Amino acid sequence: MSNVLVILEAIGNDLAAISRELLGKGRQLADALGGKLAALAIGPTTAVAAQAGNFGADQVYTVQAPALANYTTDGYVAAAKAAVEVCQPALILAGTGFQMRDFGAALATDLQAGLIVDATDIQVVEGAIQATRPSHGGNVINTYRFAAGKPVVALVRKQSFPEATAQPERSAPVTELAIADLHPRVEVQAIAPKVGAVNLTDAAIIVTGGRGLGNKDNYYRLIPPLAEALGGAYGASRAIVDDGWVPYEHQVGQTGKTVSPKLYIAAGVSGAIQHLAGMRTSRAIVAINKDPEAPIFRIATLGLVGDVNEVLPLLTEEIKRRLNR
Amino acid sequence: MHIVVCLKQVPRDNSVKIRPDLTIDAEGIEKIINLFDEYALEEGIRWNEQHGGKVTALSIGTPEWVEQLRRALAMGATDALLLNDPAFAQLDTITAARVAAAAIRKLGDVDLVITGRNSTDDESGAFAPALARLLGWPQLTYVGKVLELQPGGAIKAERHLESVIETVTCRLPAVMSVIKDINEPRYPSLLKIKRVAKVEPPVWTAADLGLSAADLTPTAQLVERVPPPPRPKGEMIDGPDAATKVRKLVDKLMEYQVI
Repeated sequence: MSNVLVILEAIGNDLAAISRELLGKGRQLADALGGKLAALAIGPTTAVAAQAGNFGADQVYTVQAPALANYTTDGYVAAAKAAVEVCQPALILAGTGFQMRDFGAALATDLQAGLIVDATDIQVVEGAIQATRPSHGGNVINTYRFAAGKPVVALVRKQSFPEATAQPERSAPVTELAIADLHPRVEVQAIAPKVGAVNLTDAAIIVTGGRGLGNKDNYYRLIPPLAEALGGAYGASRAIVDDGWVPYEHQVGQTGKTVSPKLYIAAGVSGAIQHLAGMRTSRAIVAINKDPEAPIFRIATLGLVGDVNEVLPLLTEEIKRRLNR
Repeated sequence: MHIVVCLKQVPRDNSVKIRPDLTIDAEGIEKIINLFDEYALEEGIRWNEQHGGKVTALSIGTPEWVEQLRRALAMGATDALLLNDPAFAQLDTITAARVAAAAIRKLGDVDLVITGRNSTDDESGAFAPALARLLGWPQLTYVGKVLELQPGGAIKAERHLESVIETVTCRLPAVMSVIKDINEPRYPSLLKIKRVAKVEPPVWTAADLGLSAADLTPTAQLVERVPPPPRPKGEMIDGPDAATKVRKLVDKLMEYQVI
């Protein structure tokens, strides 16, 4: 039991960025454990399975069945168990999207395996797997060591590891695994795109507004235009979501979304601890607030004390001018 | 129909400290019902109002926690159950699910378990899937709307994922986790709070649930627990007027290559 198994995800005709990250880290961990790096493509993901070899996998498994056309817990867990049976991994790596959370915890429970969700680092220490995850809104960083003899399911937070680089000359054998009698108990009857879906978690730039904006009209007059000028998404503090200014989809913080963009602009946001929990790992944080004592300034990379009603229109114009938009 | 709602005790905010023995020190921070679990409770109460039967508020905690279970009763839960044992002090998510699963099995007649999408302190979202697998029941996670719930029959619900909404259905019994958009939890009236003030919910221990020390041992050992590395010291943008400050700010953003 020294192999590493990566659960692949696809976006269109390509491996998802998270899968390239997991293959890069997986390669390193498999070498440290003295094992092989395997990858598993389930259902429609099979179309991109062969790419895993270019990114470092030694062996690729696929599982296909009509019942795997859509994600179901039962279907994906059954497929993963088929691969675990032949691969005998010490470590199973997957992403942290909602489906992977639903899947990973179920798989770990069935396998009586170790489980770590939102892993930001994984190491092999004295032959044992050791993994780190934040909790309590990023205020606590926990490192766990797993006993040998049982596999570990690690769901890895994206952008934790560099993506593997493609080696076009490299390839890996692709083996289809059969699973018998698959009858997922949950039936997927329809899949509809979310109206007004905001993928804040994937946005490279986020502009967030808070109560300091004064009212809902000011929010929509000032925040989305700046986000648009920057090619980013717009977020909201819990206070203004609770007040009904902005839909919950946009909420950043402990009870909203956890984001880590390269640039996070907080305008009229005081910086309650619940808010900081959702954005403190952003690469650069800009705080704009008229109160110089606002807690948001304590974690800001760049702080600007001023009235958002005056500053934001100027900032939007200046950004458009500099970026020629 | 019998609905069980699992409620976790969490600190109101996450400004916790770390003790030398690596346990979490939440001293001085009010303990509340995990926010997402309040939505689970509201959903359970609403379906109970429609179908009748029981809605049981179930929680792992210490005796002081009965206060919050009474709050759940005041909101409209018909029953409350506390799982308390010194052996439950340092459970991980899967062992906590094992404790809850044992209690749900002991209750015997449960049709649906509802809980929040994740707790605001641990944040993993692993509890509902772990519980479902331990019970051997199907799971519907991240539910934003329950479309149908037929006692003794099926549940049909919408799972609200990152960019799509799935309409899914399965037979009961099942485990469901809910998101914040699903409803608006009610505030219990003072009259109802008074009415349940003296209720003493039953307390079940590890022995009552037939759980051994091995059942409660986490698979991983905590070896380090530290605060996050401090962020590099920030810089305040100064200037005689807003326009100057904005120009300086954009200069910096370009220098940092973040725009």
